Amino acid sequence: MSKPVLQIEKLSKSYSLGKRNVPALSNLSLTVNAGEFVAIMGPSGSGKTTLLNVIGCIDKPTSGQVLLDGIDVSKLPENQLYKIRRDKMGFVFQTFNLLPYLNARENVELPMEGRIKSKSERKKRASELLALVGLSGREGHRPQRLSAGEQQRVAIARALANNPAIILADEPTGNLDSQNKQEIIKLLANLNLTQGTTIIMVTHDGQAAHHTERMLLLKDGKIIKEKEGTHLMKKNHKCPHCGSSIQMSDDTCHTCKKPIYSSDEPFSA
Amino acid sequence: MAIMVSIPAGVLANQQTANNLATNLSNTITQTGESINQTLTQIDCSLASGLSGFGFNAPNITIGQPGQGSSQGFDPSQFGGGGTPGQFGGGTFGGGQASPMNESLYTDINSTLSGVAAVEPILQASEGSNQTISMMGRSFTSLVTEYTIEGIPLTSDLIDNYNILTTNITAGRNLQAGDSGVVLLSENNSVYFGAGVGDTITILDQTFTVIGIHGTSSVSDTLTLYMNLSDAQAVTNNTGYITSIRVFASSSDVVTQVASSISSLHSELTVTTGQERLSQLESLQSTYNTSLSNAQASVSQTEATAVEEIIVVVAATSLIVLFVMLYTVRERTKEIGTLKAIGFSNLTVMGQFMLEGILLSMIAGVVGIAIGTIAAPTLSSLLLPSINLFGSSSGAVVTRTAGLSSAVTLNPQLILLAFGAAILLGTLGSLYPAWRAAKIRPAEAMKYE
Repeated sequence: MSKPVLQIEKLSKSYSLGKRNVPALSNLSLTVNAGEFVAIMGPSGSGKTTLLNVIGCIDKPTSGQVLLDGIDVSKLPENQLYKIRRDKMGFVFQTFNLLPYLNARENVELPMEGRIKSKSERKKRASELLALVGLSGREGHRPQRLSAGEQQRVAIARALANNPAIILADEPTGNLDSQNKQEIIKLLANLNLTQGTTIIMVTHDGQAAHHTERMLLLKDGKIIKEKEGTHLMKKNHKCPHCGSSIQMSDDTCHTCKKPIYSSDEPFSA
Repeated sequence: MAIMVSIPAGVLANQQTANNLATNLSNTITQTGESINQTLTQIDCSLASGLSGFGFNAPNITIGQPGQGSSQGFDPSQFGGGGTPGQFGGGTFGGGQASPMNESLYTDINSTLSGVAAVEPILQASEGSNQTISMMGRSFTSLVTEYTIEGIPLTSDLIDNYNILTTNITAGRNLQAGDSGVVLLSENNSVYFGAGVGDTITILDQTFTVIGIHGTSSVSDTLTLYMNLSDAQAVTNNTGYITSIRVFASSSDVVTQVASSISSLHSELTVTTGQERLSQLESLQSTYNTSLSNAQASVSQTEATAVEEIIVVVAATSLIVLFVMLYTVRERTKEIGTLKAIGFSNLTVMGQFMLEGILLSMIAGVVGIAIGTIAAPTLSSLLLPSINLFGSSSGAVVTRTAGLSSAVTLNPQLILLAFGAAILLGTLGSLYPAWRAAKIRPAEAMKYE
């Protein structure tokens, strides 16, 4: 029913460190459908960020194929790739990466600059996006006047600016306290649910991973395990424990009184 | 940038100075040559040595020889003792003056020598003052003549037959035989005394009526006022004394013979014929030419230094822009990576940093030009060799009227040029850093400090 937005076929990527060739990804295949919320987990050095960079067209694969919305991006030159990044991708960084001398609205407008000519249209869309992430009224504030959680919301609004096919989030909760962590992960889940945005998230945080619908474990450049996340249940309004009906806003099941999200490490050995 | 506008301003001022000097010198040489050619039958006799007293002591040019100042009559202590014949006591005077001589001793020239058509006794005395003239940061104290009195015998015989009066009358009338108590002023005198035709002027407590104004007909008369010889002798307290005798030979063929007769009759006199004056003129001309080439050498040396300094400044400026921009790019690697990750093209990023570098240089340019406008004279005198127009050995030639001290000022073209240079240097200095910025991999945005 839903069509694949990302198809990776036999992807390999290696870096040359002096004379040695260090493989980061080997023969990896992955398909992500439109509207999916995927978490990529794995220990340090397992190739998570490399995979995200290749998907995001900011790194080139050594071999294999990456189809984004049907376009083979593995062979495109840089002067084409920036358009793919601008039009098809939205990046959310661990350290937010907002420009400090621009206010919230101007930061959100940045990716639109090459696409939307009318300044007032850009302004309008940026304000709408800020409202969507719960920051209406904060348009004129510079990053230094926003909390870490608020800065990440601005970054998410910026990622949504050009209506991207995929949002790539690299440890989006890595620099946040537990409360902000919860809010950001719920915001992403909510965007996925209500806007149908495809999200691929790299994370160390098992709790955050449970909020997705599909969890992948990466090791030595390969996907070695895959699990269903709780988010899928929520999409279907079913409690993962007793199967009774639940609401989107619920954190605990009304019937069995168990917390809906597990706090276990999803891939604990 | 301040330096970049100050140096060319200094060079321009130096060129201006040298050009003024060149114009003055060539005018002087031409005028002197003309006046000598008119008077080939004249023989000038005086007690003074050197060029003085032969019509070469151009009142607007004082030739000073610092090493020999006192013997040349530059030492004010020699003068001002009112009683000495040939001098008068009001102020300092005497630069280039001939020594006074007793008129009665030389009546025999006319009466005993053959080939002499007429004799014109002349008394010349100058009034002057010490003035400090500053030129390109150096100052000279020099005795500057205010005016020169020339007393000539106003007899109808001399006036009618010989070329003793100036001919270029611009207002009023010329002197006539028998005139007394009147003066013929030069245009400069007229300004100095603030008097025109019909006015009365006071020279050493005696009053004279201005009868006319003469224009310049030779270099020697721009500060000369003419009056009757007896008036001049009386007013300067030199009755019976003259400073030179001008002998008119009956024809140009006998000039040399008459000159040698005068020399043998009065060995104390320096006798100069038109021919000799011509050769003296040539030596004077060569002095002037030396001055001129000194000045030109000095100017071209200044220019060479200026070019070297500008090259250094330009190189330094580009390097500063280069390093500042490289540092900026390095500091903002993550920001650039972010911009590229969210869809900025290499070209946009490069343009952004070029623009930043150029803006930086433009602001620096405006500030520099502002500083330069105020500091140009100081800066250019600090950075450029002080211009030496006259060599080091031959003393100084100072002209009063030329306005040699051209000020170091910034003109609009220079400012525009400097601003253009600022933009150019900003562009050059930003090129490499901007290219480096464009080459930053967007994956850098993923790294966190």
